[in-house]
Amino acid sequence: MTKIKMETKNLNLWYGEKQALFDINLPIYEKKITALIGPSGCGKSTFLRCLNRLNDLIPNVRIEGEVLLDGKNIYDKDVDVYELRKRVGMVFQKPNPFAMSIYDNVAFGPRIHGIKDKKELDKIVEWALKKAALWDEVKDELHKNALSLSGGQQQRLCIARAIAVKPEVLLMDEPTSALDPISTLKIEELMVELAKDYTIVVVTHNMQQASRVSDYTAFFLMGKLIEFGETEQIFLNPQKKETDDYISGRFG
Amino acid sequence: MSPIKHKTIRMIKDKIFLFIVGALTLLAILPLFHIIISIIEKGLPIVLERGLTFITGTLSEGGIGPAIVGTLMLTALATIIGLPLAFLAGAYAYEFPNSFIGRATKMLLQIMLEFPTILVGTFVMGILVIPMGTFSALAGALALALILTPYVAVYTEEAMAEIPRIYKEGGYALGCTRAQVIFKVITKMAKKGILTGILIGMAKVAGETAPLLFTAGGLYEVYPTNPLEPVGAIPLLIYTLVQSPSIEDHQIAWGASLIMLIIFLAIFIPIRYSLKDDIKL
Repeated sequence: MTKIKMETKNLNLWYGEKQALFDINLPIYEKKITALIGPSGCGKSTFLRCLNRLNDLIPNVRIEGEVLLDGKNIYDKDVDVYELRKRVGMVFQKPNPFAMSIYDNVAFGPRIHGIKDKKELDKIVEWALKKAALWDEVKDELHKNALSLSGGQQQRLCIARAIAVKPEVLLMDEPTSALDPISTLKIEELMVELAKDYTIVVVTHNMQQASRVSDYTAFFLMGKLIEFGETEQIFLNPQKKETDDYISGRFG
Repeated sequence: MSPIKHKTIRMIKDKIFLFIVGALTLLAILPLFHIIISIIEKGLPIVLERGLTFITGTLSEGGIGPAIVGTLMLTALATIIGLPLAFLAGAYAYEFPNSFIGRATKMLLQIMLEFPTILVGTFVMGILVIPMGTFSALAGALALALILTPYVAVYTEEAMAEIPRIYKEGGYALGCTRAQVIFKVITKMAKKGILTGILIGMAKVAGETAPLLFTAGGLYEVYPTNPLEPVGAIPLLIYTLVQSPSIEDHQIAWGASLIMLIIFLAIFIPIRYSLKDDIKL
Protein backbone atom coordinates (compact mmCIF):
# COMPACT_ATOMS: atom_id res chain seq x y z
CA MET A 1 0.00 0.00 0.00
CA THR A 2 1.36 3.36 -1.01
CA LYS A 3 1.87 5.92 1.72
CA ILE A 4 -0.21 9.12 1.71
CA LYS A 5 2.19 12.09 1.64
CA MET A 6 -0.35 14.91 1.62
CA GLU A 7 -4.05 14.97 2.12
CA THR A 8 -6.75 17.62 2.10
CA LYS A 9 -9.77 17.36 4.37
CA ASN A 10 -12.93 19.35 3.66
CA LEU A 11 -10.90 22.10 2.02
CA ASN A 12 -12.98 25.16 1.16
CA LEU A 13 -11.65 28.39 -0.29
CA TRP A 14 -13.23 31.78 -0.94
CA TYR A 15 -12.00 34.73 -2.99
CA GLY A 16 -13.84 37.46 -1.10
CA GLU A 17 -17.48 36.39 -1.27
CA LYS A 18 -17.02 33.94 -4.10
CA GLN A 19 -16.39 30.35 -3.16
CA ALA A 20 -13.81 28.71 -5.43
CA LEU A 21 -13.25 25.33 -3.78
CA PHE A 22 -15.92 23.13 -2.20
CA ASP A 23 -15.11 20.43 0.35
CA ILE A 24 -12.11 18.93 -1.40
CA ASN A 25 -10.93 15.62 0.04
CA LEU A 26 -7.95 14.37 -1.89
CA PRO A 27 -5.07 12.08 -0.98
CA ILE A 28 -1.67 12.59 -2.61
CA TYR A 29 0.45 9.46 -2.61
CA GLU A 30 4.17 9.47 -1.90
CA LYS A 31 6.52 9.24 -4.89
CA LYS A 32 3.64 9.12 -7.33
CA ILE A 33 2.47 11.63 -9.90
CA THR A 34 -0.98 13.00 -9.28
CA ALA A 35 -2.53 14.91 -12.19
CA LEU A 36 -5.22 17.53 -11.63
CA ILE A 37 -7.40 17.98 -14.71
CA GLY A 38 -10.48 19.99 -15.53
CA PRO A 39 -11.65 22.93 -17.62
CA SER A 40 -10.27 26.46 -17.09
CA GLY A 41 -11.49 28.08 -13.90
CA CYS A 42 -12.41 24.79 -12.24
CA GLY A 43 -10.13 25.52 -9.27
CA LYS A 44 -7.29 23.10 -9.96
CA SER A 45 -4.55 25.77 -9.85
CA THR A 46 -6.16 27.35 -6.80
CA PHE A 47 -6.15 23.95 -5.16
CA LEU A 48 -2.49 23.41 -6.06
CA ARG A 49 -1.55 26.74 -4.51
CA CYS A 50 -3.20 25.70 -1.25
CA LEU A 51 -0.64 22.92 -0.91
CA ASN A 52 2.28 25.34 -0.38
CA ARG A 53 0.16 28.18 1.03
CA LEU A 54 0.95 30.43 -1.91
CA ASN A 55 -2.63 31.67 -1.72
CA ASP A 56 -1.65 33.37 1.55
CA LEU A 57 -0.16 36.13 -0.62
CA ILE A 58 -3.47 36.99 -2.23
CA PRO A 59 -5.62 39.46 -0.32
CA ASN A 60 -9.16 38.45 0.71
CA VAL A 61 -8.58 34.72 0.37
CA ARG A 62 -10.19 32.66 3.13
CA ILE A 63 -9.47 28.99 3.60
CA GLU A 64 -11.25 26.42 5.76
CA GLY A 65 -10.45 22.76 6.28
CA GLU A 66 -7.14 21.00 6.58
CA VAL A 67 -4.16 20.27 4.39
CA LEU A 68 -2.03 17.56 5.94
CA LEU A 69 1.63 17.03 5.16
CA ASP A 70 2.85 13.83 6.82
CA GLY A 71 -0.23 14.05 9.01
CA LYS A 72 0.40 17.63 10.18
CA ASN A 73 -1.98 20.44 9.16
CA ILE A 74 0.10 23.04 7.29
CA TYR A 75 -2.42 25.76 8.17
CA ASP A 76 -1.80 25.29 11.90
CA LYS A 77 -0.57 28.42 13.66
CA ASP A 78 2.77 26.90 14.68
CA VAL A 79 3.77 26.02 11.09
CA ASP A 80 6.69 27.99 9.65
CA VAL A 81 5.39 28.82 6.18
CA TYR A 82 8.89 29.45 4.79
CA GLU A 83 10.05 26.05 6.02
CA LEU A 84 6.88 24.53 4.52
CA ARG A 85 7.61 26.00 1.10
CA LYS A 86 11.09 24.52 1.29
CA ARG A 87 9.49 21.10 1.73
CA VAL A 88 6.83 21.69 -0.92
CA GLY A 89 8.48 23.20 -4.02
CA MET A 90 6.75 24.64 -7.05
CA VAL A 91 7.24 25.03 -10.79
CA PHE A 92 5.09 27.61 -12.55
CA GLN A 93 3.14 27.81 -15.78
CA LYS A 94 5.51 30.29 -17.38
CA PRO A 95 9.23 29.72 -16.83
CA ASN A 96 10.31 32.35 -14.29
CA PRO A 97 14.08 32.18 -13.88
CA PHE A 98 15.46 35.20 -12.04
CA ALA A 99 17.52 37.73 -14.00
CA MET A 100 20.83 36.29 -12.84
CA SER A 101 23.24 33.59 -13.95
CA ILE A 102 22.23 29.95 -14.38
CA TYR A 103 24.43 29.07 -11.41
CA ASP A 104 22.95 31.77 -9.17
CA ASN A 105 19.43 30.68 -10.05
CA VAL A 106 20.02 27.12 -8.91
CA ALA A 107 22.09 28.21 -5.90
CA PHE A 108 19.45 30.78 -4.92
CA GLY A 109 17.33 28.48 -2.75
CA PRO A 110 20.23 26.79 -0.94
CA ARG A 111 21.78 30.21 -0.26
CA ILE A 112 18.49 31.52 1.14
CA HIS A 113 18.43 28.57 3.46
CA GLY A 114 21.90 29.28 4.75
CA ILE A 115 24.37 27.28 2.65
CA LYS A 116 27.40 29.48 1.99
CA ASP A 117 30.22 27.03 1.31
CA LYS A 118 31.25 27.38 -2.34
CA LYS A 119 32.16 23.71 -2.79
CA GLU A 120 28.88 22.54 -1.33
CA LEU A 121 26.96 24.96 -3.56
CA ASP A 122 28.89 23.75 -6.62
CA LYS A 123 27.89 20.20 -5.77
CA ILE A 124 24.22 21.06 -5.30
CA VAL A 125 24.11 23.07 -8.54
CA GLU A 126 25.65 20.24 -10.54
CA TRP A 127 23.39 17.66 -8.90
CA ALA A 128 20.22 19.69 -9.46
CA LEU A 129 21.06 20.51 -13.08
CA LYS A 130 21.82 16.85 -13.77
CA LYS A 131 18.54 15.82 -12.14
CA ALA A 132 16.73 18.35 -14.32
CA ALA A 133 18.48 16.98 -17.44
CA LEU A 134 20.01 20.36 -18.20
CA TRP A 135 23.61 19.87 -17.08
CA ASP A 136 25.03 18.73 -20.41
CA GLU A 137 23.57 21.72 -22.22
CA VAL A 138 24.77 24.39 -19.79
CA LYS A 139 27.80 23.03 -17.95
CA ASP A 140 30.21 25.25 -19.89
CA GLU A 141 28.20 28.43 -19.45
CA LEU A 142 26.97 28.36 -15.88
CA HIS A 143 27.66 32.06 -15.51
CA LYS A 144 25.60 33.08 -18.50
CA ASN A 145 22.37 34.96 -17.79
CA ALA A 146 19.53 32.49 -17.36
CA LEU A 147 17.25 34.62 -19.53
CA SER A 148 19.37 33.79 -22.58
CA LEU A 149 18.21 30.16 -22.42
CA SER A 150 15.35 28.85 -24.56
CA GLY A 151 11.88 28.48 -23.02
CA GLY A 152 12.24 24.72 -22.53
CA GLN A 153 15.69 25.14 -20.97
CA GLN A 154 14.36 27.90 -18.71
CA GLN A 155 11.62 25.60 -17.46
CA ARG A 156 14.11 22.82 -16.75
CA LEU A 157 16.24 25.42 -14.96
CA CYS A 158 13.22 26.30 -12.83
CA ILE A 159 12.81 22.62 -12.01
CA ALA A 160 16.50 22.46 -11.06
CA ARG A 161 16.05 25.56 -8.93
CA ALA A 162 13.06 24.00 -7.18
CA ILE A 163 14.73 20.67 -6.43
CA ALA A 164 17.98 22.32 -5.30
CA VAL A 165 16.35 23.01 -1.93
CA LYS A 166 15.55 19.27 -1.71
CA PRO A 167 11.79 19.45 -1.38
CA GLU A 168 9.70 16.40 -0.60
CA VAL A 169 6.77 17.39 -2.80
CA LEU A 170 6.95 19.16 -6.14
CA LEU A 171 3.93 21.11 -7.36
CA MET A 172 3.77 21.84 -11.09
CA ASP A 173 1.25 24.31 -12.44
CA GLU A 174 0.80 23.54 -16.15
CA PRO A 175 4.57 23.31 -16.52
CA THR A 176 4.52 22.66 -20.26
CA SER A 177 1.70 24.90 -21.46
CA ALA A 178 4.16 27.57 -22.67
CA LEU A 179 6.52 25.09 -24.35
CA ASP A 180 6.89 23.44 -27.75
CA PRO A 181 6.20 19.69 -28.17
CA ILE A 182 9.84 18.60 -27.95
CA SER A 183 10.49 20.58 -24.78
CA THR A 184 7.20 19.23 -23.43
CA LEU A 185 8.32 15.69 -24.05
CA LYS A 186 11.59 16.34 -22.22
CA ILE A 187 9.77 17.77 -19.21
CA GLU A 188 7.40 14.79 -19.16
CA GLU A 189 10.29 12.32 -19.21
CA LEU A 190 11.84 14.33 -16.44
CA MET A 191 8.68 14.17 -14.35
CA VAL A 192 8.59 10.39 -14.56
CA GLU A 193 12.25 10.27 -13.59
CA LEU A 194 11.76 12.68 -10.68
CA ALA A 195 8.80 10.69 -9.35
CA LYS A 196 11.30 8.05 -8.20
CA ASP A 197 12.37 10.45 -5.46
CA TYR A 198 9.62 13.03 -5.18
CA THR A 199 5.91 13.27 -4.76
CA ILE A 200 4.60 15.24 -7.73
CA VAL A 201 1.31 17.05 -8.21
CA VAL A 202 0.79 18.43 -11.70
CA VAL A 203 -1.97 20.64 -13.04
CA THR A 204 -2.50 20.09 -16.75
CA HIS A 205 -4.85 21.06 -19.52
CA ASN A 206 -3.42 18.37 -21.66
CA MET A 207 -5.32 15.11 -21.26
CA GLN A 208 -2.69 13.06 -23.09
CA GLN A 209 -0.11 14.42 -20.72
CA ALA A 210 -2.14 13.36 -17.71
CA SER A 211 -2.63 9.88 -19.11
CA ARG A 212 1.02 9.57 -20.18
CA VAL A 213 2.75 10.62 -16.99
CA SER A 214 0.45 10.35 -14.00
CA ASP A 215 -0.31 7.50 -11.61
CA TYR A 216 -3.43 9.13 -10.18
CA THR A 217 -5.82 11.62 -11.69
CA ALA A 218 -8.24 14.02 -10.04
CA PHE A 219 -10.97 15.63 -12.11
CA PHE A 220 -12.19 19.07 -10.98
CA LEU A 221 -15.29 20.90 -12.15
CA MET A 222 -16.66 24.20 -10.89
CA GLY A 223 -14.56 24.07 -7.72
CA LYS A 224 -15.59 20.54 -6.83
CA LEU A 225 -13.61 17.32 -6.97
CA ILE A 226 -15.78 15.15 -9.20
CA GLU A 227 -13.69 12.02 -9.36
CA PHE A 228 -10.35 10.72 -8.16
CA GLY A 229 -8.68 7.43 -8.91
CA GLU A 230 -5.84 5.64 -10.62
CA THR A 231 -5.18 7.28 -13.95
CA GLU A 232 -5.97 4.15 -15.91
CA GLN A 233 -9.34 3.79 -14.25
CA ILE A 234 -10.21 7.48 -14.74
CA PHE A 235 -9.41 7.39 -18.43
CA LEU A 236 -10.68 3.91 -19.32
CA ASN A 237 -13.52 3.48 -16.92
CA PRO A 238 -14.72 6.77 -15.44
CA GLN A 239 -17.45 6.37 -12.85
CA LYS A 240 -19.05 9.79 -13.26
CA LYS A 241 -20.78 11.10 -16.33
CA GLU A 242 -19.05 14.52 -16.10
CA THR A 243 -15.62 12.85 -16.09
CA ASP A 244 -16.54 10.77 -19.10
CA ASP A 245 -17.84 13.85 -20.95
CA TYR A 246 -14.66 15.81 -20.21
CA ILE A 247 -12.06 13.19 -21.06
CA SER A 248 -13.86 12.15 -24.21
CA GLY A 249 -13.79 15.78 -25.26
CA ARG A 250 -17.51 16.48 -25.18
CA PHE A 251 -16.86 19.73 -23.32
CA GLY A 252 -14.09 21.78 -21.72
CA MET B 1 -19.68 60.50 -53.24
CA SER B 2 -17.66 57.94 -55.11
CA PRO B 3 -15.52 55.62 -53.01
CA ILE B 4 -12.36 56.81 -54.73
CA LYS B 5 -13.07 60.46 -54.00
CA HIS B 6 -13.89 59.55 -50.44
CA LYS B 7 -10.56 57.80 -50.12
CA THR B 8 -8.66 60.82 -51.50
CA ILE B 9 -10.30 63.14 -48.98
CA ARG B 10 -9.39 60.81 -46.19
CA MET B 11 -5.78 60.71 -47.36
CA ILE B 12 -5.61 64.49 -47.54
CA LYS B 13 -7.07 64.80 -44.05
CA ASP B 14 -4.49 62.34 -42.83
CA LYS B 15 -1.65 64.32 -44.43
CA ILE B 16 -2.89 67.60 -42.91
CA PHE B 17 -3.16 65.98 -39.52
CA LEU B 18 0.37 64.59 -39.72
CA PHE B 19 1.69 67.95 -40.83
CA ILE B 20 0.08 69.77 -37.91
CA VAL B 21 1.34 67.23 -35.38
CA GLY B 22 4.83 67.44 -36.87
CA ALA B 23 4.88 71.23 -36.85
CA LEU B 24 3.66 71.46 -33.25
CA THR B 25 6.21 68.89 -32.11
CA LEU B 26 8.94 70.89 -33.76
CA LEU B 27 7.68 74.02 -32.04
CA ALA B 28 7.79 72.24 -28.70
CA ILE B 29 11.37 71.00 -29.00
CA LEU B 30 12.74 74.10 -30.74
CA PRO B 31 13.41 75.97 -27.47
CA LEU B 32 15.43 73.01 -26.20
CA PHE B 33 17.72 73.13 -29.23
CA HIS B 34 17.89 76.88 -28.95
CA ILE B 35 19.01 76.62 -25.33
CA ILE B 36 21.68 74.06 -26.16
CA ILE B 37 22.93 76.02 -29.19
CA SER B 38 23.13 79.37 -27.40
CA ILE B 39 24.95 77.81 -24.46
CA ILE B 40 27.51 76.28 -26.80
CA GLU B 41 27.75 79.43 -28.92
CA LYS B 42 28.34 81.76 -25.97
CA GLY B 43 30.02 79.38 -23.57
CA LEU B 44 32.47 77.61 -25.84
CA PRO B 45 34.65 80.66 -26.75
CA ILE B 46 35.49 81.47 -23.14
CA VAL B 47 36.11 77.84 -22.21
CA LEU B 48 38.45 77.44 -25.23
CA GLU B 49 40.16 80.77 -24.59
CA ARG B 50 41.02 79.96 -20.98
CA GLY B 51 41.49 76.25 -21.50
CA LEU B 52 42.36 74.20 -18.45
CA THR B 53 42.40 77.30 -16.23
CA PHE B 54 38.66 77.61 -16.69
CA ILE B 55 38.09 74.14 -15.31
CA THR B 56 40.69 74.15 -12.55
CA GLY B 57 41.31 77.80 -11.66
CA THR B 58 39.66 79.82 -8.91
CA LEU B 59 37.36 82.72 -9.79
CA SER B 60 40.08 85.36 -9.53
CA GLU B 61 42.32 83.22 -11.75
CA GLY B 62 39.45 83.18 -14.25
CA GLY B 63 38.14 79.68 -13.57
CA ILE B 64 35.29 77.86 -11.88
CA GLY B 65 37.22 74.92 -10.39
CA PRO B 66 35.89 75.24 -6.82
CA ALA B 67 32.32 75.45 -8.13
CA ILE B 68 32.74 72.26 -10.16
CA VAL B 69 34.18 70.41 -7.17
CA GLY B 70 31.42 71.92 -5.01
CA THR B 71 28.72 70.62 -7.35
CA LEU B 72 30.27 67.15 -7.44
CA MET B 73 30.65 67.18 -3.66
CA LEU B 74 27.06 68.31 -3.06
CA THR B 75 25.66 65.76 -5.52
CA ALA B 76 27.68 62.94 -3.99
CA LEU B 77 26.77 63.89 -0.42
CA ALA B 78 23.10 64.31 -1.33
CA THR B 79 23.10 60.86 -2.92
CA ILE B 80 24.77 59.28 0.10
CA ILE B 81 22.21 60.87 2.43
CA GLY B 82 19.14 60.39 0.26
CA LEU B 83 19.67 57.05 -1.45
CA PRO B 84 19.20 54.59 1.44
CA LEU B 85 16.10 56.38 2.69
CA ALA B 86 14.66 56.72 -0.78
CA PHE B 87 15.25 53.09 -1.65
CA LEU B 88 13.62 51.87 1.55
CA ALA B 89 10.67 54.24 1.13
CA GLY B 90 10.17 53.03 -2.45
CA ALA B 91 10.41 49.37 -1.40
CA TYR B 92 7.90 50.03 1.38
CA ALA B 93 5.41 51.70 -0.94
CA TYR B 94 5.82 48.74 -3.31
CA GLU B 95 5.35 46.02 -0.71
CA PHE B 96 2.43 47.59 1.15
CA PRO B 97 0.42 49.33 -1.57
CA ASN B 98 -2.88 48.83 0.24
CA SER B 99 -1.89 49.72 3.77
CA PHE B 100 -2.54 53.19 5.14
CA ILE B 101 1.15 53.99 5.62
CA GLY B 102 1.99 52.58 2.18
CA ARG B 103 -0.60 54.77 0.46
CA ALA B 104 0.41 57.79 2.53
CA THR B 105 4.07 57.21 1.64
CA LYS B 106 3.28 57.08 -2.04
CA MET B 107 1.14 60.21 -1.91
CA LEU B 108 3.75 62.14 0.08
CA LEU B 109 6.46 61.13 -2.38
CA GLN B 110 4.33 62.39 -5.28
CA ILE B 111 3.85 65.70 -3.44
CA MET B 112 7.56 65.96 -2.63
CA LEU B 113 8.30 65.42 -6.32
CA GLU B 114 6.51 68.65 -7.18
CA PHE B 115 7.38 70.56 -4.01
CA PRO B 116 8.77 74.08 -4.55
CA THR B 117 12.47 73.55 -4.08
CA ILE B 118 13.09 76.94 -2.49
CA LEU B 119 10.91 75.88 0.43
CA VAL B 120 13.23 72.93 0.96
CA GLY B 121 16.06 75.47 1.14
CA THR B 122 14.33 77.59 3.77
CA PHE B 123 13.45 74.48 5.76
CA VAL B 124 17.05 73.29 5.90
CA MET B 125 18.19 76.81 6.75
CA GLY B 126 15.86 76.65 9.73
CA ILE B 127 16.92 73.25 11.01
CA LEU B 128 20.63 73.25 10.16
CA VAL B 129 22.13 76.55 9.02
CA ILE B 130 20.79 78.70 11.87
CA PRO B 131 21.69 76.22 14.67
CA MET B 132 25.16 75.67 13.16
CA GLY B 133 25.64 79.38 12.64
CA THR B 134 27.13 78.84 9.18
CA PHE B 135 26.30 77.80 5.66
CA SER B 136 27.76 74.41 4.87
CA ALA B 137 28.11 71.69 2.26
CA LEU B 138 26.21 69.45 4.65
CA ALA B 139 23.21 71.81 4.72
CA GLY B 140 23.26 72.14 0.92
CA ALA B 141 23.52 68.39 0.52
CA LEU B 142 20.64 67.80 2.94
CA ALA B 143 18.42 70.16 0.97
CA LEU B 144 19.39 68.38 -2.27
CA ALA B 145 18.87 64.98 -0.64
CA LEU B 146 15.28 65.97 0.14
CA ILE B 147 14.78 66.73 -3.54
CA LEU B 148 16.54 63.57 -4.72
CA THR B 149 14.63 61.25 -2.39
CA PRO B 150 11.21 61.31 -4.07
CA TYR B 151 12.72 60.73 -7.52
CA VAL B 152 14.64 57.66 -6.41
CA ALA B 153 11.76 56.38 -4.27
CA VAL B 154 9.10 56.79 -6.97
CA TYR B 155 11.32 55.18 -9.62
CA THR B 156 12.18 52.34 -7.24
CA GLU B 157 8.52 51.70 -6.49
CA GLU B 158 7.55 51.79 -10.16
CA ALA B 159 10.44 49.62 -11.30
CA MET B 160 9.55 47.03 -8.67
CA ALA B 161 5.86 47.13 -9.52
CA GLU B 162 6.72 46.33 -13.15
CA ILE B 163 8.30 42.99 -12.25
CA PRO B 164 5.65 40.36 -13.02
CA ARG B 165 4.05 38.70 -10.04
CA ILE B 166 5.32 35.31 -11.10
CA TYR B 167 8.89 36.21 -10.07
CA LYS B 168 7.75 37.26 -6.64
CA GLU B 169 5.87 33.99 -6.28
CA GLY B 170 8.92 32.13 -7.57
CA GLY B 171 10.87 33.58 -4.65
CA TYR B 172 8.21 32.69 -2.10
CA ALA B 173 7.88 29.19 -3.54
CA LEU B 174 11.56 28.60 -2.72
CA GLY B 175 10.95 29.49 0.91
CA CYS B 176 12.05 33.14 0.84
CA THR B 177 10.85 35.50 3.52
CA ARG B 178 9.21 38.77 2.51
CA ALA B 179 12.45 40.70 2.98
CA GLN B 180 14.42 38.16 0.95
CA VAL B 181 11.93 38.38 -1.91
CA ILE B 182 12.20 42.18 -1.98
CA PHE B 183 15.94 42.54 -1.59
CA LYS B 184 17.22 39.43 -3.36
CA VAL B 185 14.69 38.84 -6.12
CA ILE B 186 12.76 42.03 -6.89
CA THR B 187 15.61 44.50 -6.35
CA LYS B 188 17.91 42.48 -8.59
CA MET B 189 15.34 42.30 -11.35
CA ALA B 190 14.37 45.96 -11.02
CA LYS B 191 17.91 47.27 -10.77
CA LYS B 192 17.91 49.05 -14.11
CA GLY B 193 14.77 51.02 -13.28
CA ILE B 194 16.13 51.83 -9.84
CA LEU B 195 19.46 52.92 -11.30
CA THR B 196 17.61 55.13 -13.78
CA GLY B 197 15.82 56.79 -10.88
CA ILE B 198 19.10 57.38 -9.06
CA LEU B 199 20.71 58.95 -12.14
CA ILE B 200 17.68 61.13 -12.86
CA GLY B 201 17.65 62.25 -9.24
CA MET B 202 21.37 63.05 -9.39
CA ALA B 203 21.03 64.95 -12.67
CA LYS B 204 18.16 66.90 -11.17
CA VAL B 205 19.97 67.93 -7.98
CA ALA B 206 23.25 68.68 -9.76
CA GLY B 207 21.46 71.49 -11.57
CA GLU B 208 19.41 72.85 -8.67
CA THR B 209 19.90 76.45 -7.53
CA ALA B 210 17.04 77.43 -5.25
CA PRO B 211 17.65 74.94 -2.43
CA LEU B 212 21.27 76.07 -2.24
CA LEU B 213 20.55 79.78 -1.92
CA PHE B 214 20.14 79.69 1.85
CA THR B 215 22.19 76.62 2.62
CA ALA B 216 25.46 76.21 0.71
CA GLY B 217 26.81 79.74 1.01
CA GLY B 218 29.18 79.77 -1.97
CA LEU B 219 32.94 79.30 -2.21
CA TYR B 220 34.82 80.23 -5.35
CA GLU B 221 38.34 81.32 -4.36
CA VAL B 222 39.50 78.12 -2.68
CA TYR B 223 38.59 74.47 -3.12
CA PRO B 224 36.14 73.07 -0.58
CA THR B 225 37.66 70.59 1.88
CA ASN B 226 35.30 70.44 4.84
CA PRO B 227 31.64 69.46 4.49
CA LEU B 228 30.84 71.53 7.58
CA GLU B 229 32.00 74.73 5.86
CA PRO B 230 30.41 76.71 3.02
CA VAL B 231 30.69 75.33 -0.49
CA GLY B 232 30.04 76.63 -3.99
CA ALA B 233 28.10 75.10 -6.85
CA ILE B 234 27.95 75.82 -10.57
CA PRO B 235 24.26 76.85 -10.71
CA LEU B 236 24.73 79.05 -7.66
CA LEU B 237 27.78 80.67 -9.27
CA ILE B 238 25.87 81.30 -12.49
CA TYR B 239 23.09 82.92 -10.48
CA THR B 240 25.58 85.20 -8.72
CA LEU B 241 27.57 86.12 -11.84
CA VAL B 242 24.51 86.98 -13.94
CA GLN B 243 23.56 89.63 -11.40
CA SER B 244 26.95 91.35 -11.75
CA PRO B 245 27.24 94.26 -14.18
CA SER B 246 30.60 93.08 -15.53
CA ILE B 247 30.70 91.66 -19.05
CA GLU B 248 33.50 89.29 -18.06
CA ASP B 249 31.35 87.83 -15.30
CA HIS B 250 28.62 87.20 -17.85
CA GLN B 251 31.11 85.38 -20.07
CA ILE B 252 32.19 83.19 -17.18
CA ALA B 253 28.53 82.50 -16.46
CA TRP B 254 28.05 81.25 -20.05
CA GLY B 255 31.15 79.09 -19.75
CA ALA B 256 29.89 77.71 -16.45
CA SER B 257 26.54 76.97 -18.13
CA LEU B 258 28.33 74.91 -20.75
CA ILE B 259 30.17 72.92 -18.06
CA MET B 260 26.84 72.45 -16.26
CA LEU B 261 25.26 71.18 -19.46
CA ILE B 262 28.12 68.74 -20.00
CA ILE B 263 27.84 67.39 -16.44
CA PHE B 264 24.08 67.07 -16.86
CA LEU B 265 24.38 65.21 -20.16
CA ALA B 266 27.14 63.01 -18.75
CA ILE B 267 24.70 61.80 -16.12
CA PHE B 268 21.73 61.65 -18.46
CA ILE B 269 23.02 60.03 -21.65
CA PRO B 270 23.95 56.73 -19.99
CA ILE B 271 20.32 56.48 -18.88
CA ARG B 272 19.17 56.56 -22.49
CA TYR B 273 21.82 54.37 -24.04
CA SER B 274 23.63 51.96 -21.77
CA LEU B 275 20.58 51.15 -19.69
CA LYS B 276 18.57 49.65 -22.50
CA ASP B 277 16.46 46.86 -21.06
CA ASP B 278 17.94 43.51 -21.90
CA ILE B 279 15.37 41.68 -19.83
CA LYS B 280 12.56 40.26 -21.89
CA LEU B 281 9.66 39.81 -19.56
